[in-house]
Amino acid sequence: MNQKTKDGMSRRQFLQIAGGASACAALMTFGVKSGWAANSPSFPVREVGFQSHETDIIVVGSGLAGLFAAVKAHDAGASVMMVSKGRLGTSGQTPFARGIFAWDPSTASMGLDEFTEAVSRSALGTNNPVYTRQMAEHSLARVNELREWGFFETNLYYNVFNKPIVERNIPVLQRIMITKLIKENGRIAGVAGFSLDDSKVHVIQAKSVILCTGAGGFKPNGFPICDLTHDGTVMAYDIGAKVTGKEWNDGHPGQSVNPAACYNGWERMLESMPSANSIGIRHDLGVGENYQAYMKGNPVSMGPPGQGGSTTASGGPYTPQEFLQRSNDEGRGGENGPGEGGPPPGMGGVIVGGASAGMSIHKSEGLVPINDRCESNVPGLFAAGDSLGSYMAGAIYTQIGSSMAGSAVQGAIAAEAAAEYASGVEIPALSESRIDAIRNEMLAPLGRTEGYGPAWVTQVLQGVMIPNFVIYVKKESILKAALAYVEELRDHHVPMLRASDMHELRLAHETRNMIVNAEMKLKASLMRKESRCSHFRLDYPDVDYDNWQAWINISKEADGTMKLEKQPFESWPN
Amino acid sequence: MSINNIDGCIGCGICVETCPTDVIRIDPASGKAAIVYPADCQICHLCRMYCPVDAITITPEKTIPVVVSWG
Repeated sequence: MNQKTKDGMSRRQFLQIAGGASACAALMTFGVKSGWAANSPSFPVREVGFQSHETDIIVVGSGLAGLFAAVKAHDAGASVMMVSKGRLGTSGQTPFARGIFAWDPSTASMGLDEFTEAVSRSALGTNNPVYTRQMAEHSLARVNELREWGFFETNLYYNVFNKPIVERNIPVLQRIMITKLIKENGRIAGVAGFSLDDSKVHVIQAKSVILCTGAGGFKPNGFPICDLTHDGTVMAYDIGAKVTGKEWNDGHPGQSVNPAACYNGWERMLESMPSANSIGIRHDLGVGENYQAYMKGNPVSMGPPGQGGSTTASGGPYTPQEFLQRSNDEGRGGENGPGEGGPPPGMGGVIVGGASAGMSIHKSEGLVPINDRCESNVPGLFAAGDSLGSYMAGAIYTQIGSSMAGSAVQGAIAAEAAAEYASGVEIPALSESRIDAIRNEMLAPLGRTEGYGPAWVTQVLQGVMIPNFVIYVKKESILKAALAYVEELRDHHVPMLRASDMHELRLAHETRNMIVNAEMKLKASLMRKESRCSHFRLDYPDVDYDNWQAWINISKEADGTMKLEKQPFESWPN
Repeated sequence: MSINNIDGCIGCGICVETCPTDVIRIDPASGKAAIVYPADCQICHLCRMYCPVDAITITPEKTIPVVVSWG
């Protein structure tokens, strides 16, 4: 019997539609307007205000790298402003990190050369030894400054970070999402974004920009990086900067019960005070657990392949013998912060993967440096911390606590280089028509009368990218299939993203950035026909020392296509 | 449901600034913090930890479906 519903739809038609819509039904249940819909913004484009600023150096991001970038650029004599999508010391990964490495020459178990060589052995040559050594050499000085500001006396960093900023009267623009790096006549000219609170477009003209925007992920579940969507990397890529490190993967797991609950998985560590640590080099947090789950199913034991007990699958990612046992023994259950520790302290029960999906390895993705001063190939554009692909640690977790140390060290290095650059140039002039074009592009999702909801597009992206047989345990056929989906989202959905308010405008830009990052990850993963560190391919399971002693750099061609090229280890780009 | 209750708010706005994912806003009518975008809560507890009057309660469940790399 062909029953009719009250609006005249047949029961069969109704079921077909209901089935097709099931993917987004759950979103609708929780009040998120999903999929394609009409858009009636609560704040129309014509009512969005405008504010301009000028400074020598604009620091984008307010984590640990941003803090040192702003402070040291000011101390080098430049006028500085800081702009942040969130709040000083409470955005990005900084507020959740607790362990910082300090190489103290009076007590260290290794000298700088010996330390750098040990990291290189663990990283199978993927680290840049110049940045590895620089991090260690400067780490104690930065840790001592943090100690003076009260860093080791609290687990809430805002007041600590605010102290040196207030002492120097450095303006901090908070809750402003930067969506555009402005380039004029071949060099950097400033940044543009919008504020969440007063609904204004902000254009900050500057001689130099230091990106301290962190890395990012696909808004994954169980790791506190949902405000990080590779914004800095993608903006820099858009204006011609080279980007690297997209084939590597951070392999943090989460709990199978309430996997999205970051705090619950990391509670003991998040409630603890930060601490400094000495040398402890591992080869850890790659994709071993994802391989185990792929081969044997759950439950998966932690640790590198071969160490997990009788049910462990053979094969999988290679761990150097020197670091096999060490990876099991050192730092397990330590309080080293997300990205540094092994299984989080307090994380119990059965684990699931993908907690940090979309993130590479700290300091091993982001802008390609052209020298040891955190400088990109775009004149005036610098980066520090997780937004700089310095390969300080290599393509796997090596030195415990080096992520925080590296952010502090690189922030200071980039600041001094940027101040030197800024002292020799003027702020490039921007025409009104240029600013209008930037504004229109930025606000486009707000101006659409209908479109795709960014939350729904993000969920589709997660479904394509996060399964362990896509970006963790890789093979050509699946990578190509996923790339077809991602290119569809890039070409068809990004141009039709809608936003009903400034919050959703932020989501729309974040969604676009995550899609570009997904394309980079898939293309770099396809290109790297070997397995090494945190990149594992089932169809090329061995390290290839003949053809792959190289990083992959990604840049945007004049026609908009994505270009990938090799850069030999231990070299700088041409 | 992630961040699910704010009781005893004094309207200082620190939670609004602190939330990395812009979940909370000050309600113009009441002058108190309101949970406006719960689907974006990453359950990190920063708002609760910074709240000067312990007004915020958070539960570990995500309000939208969770994607993990293996089931």
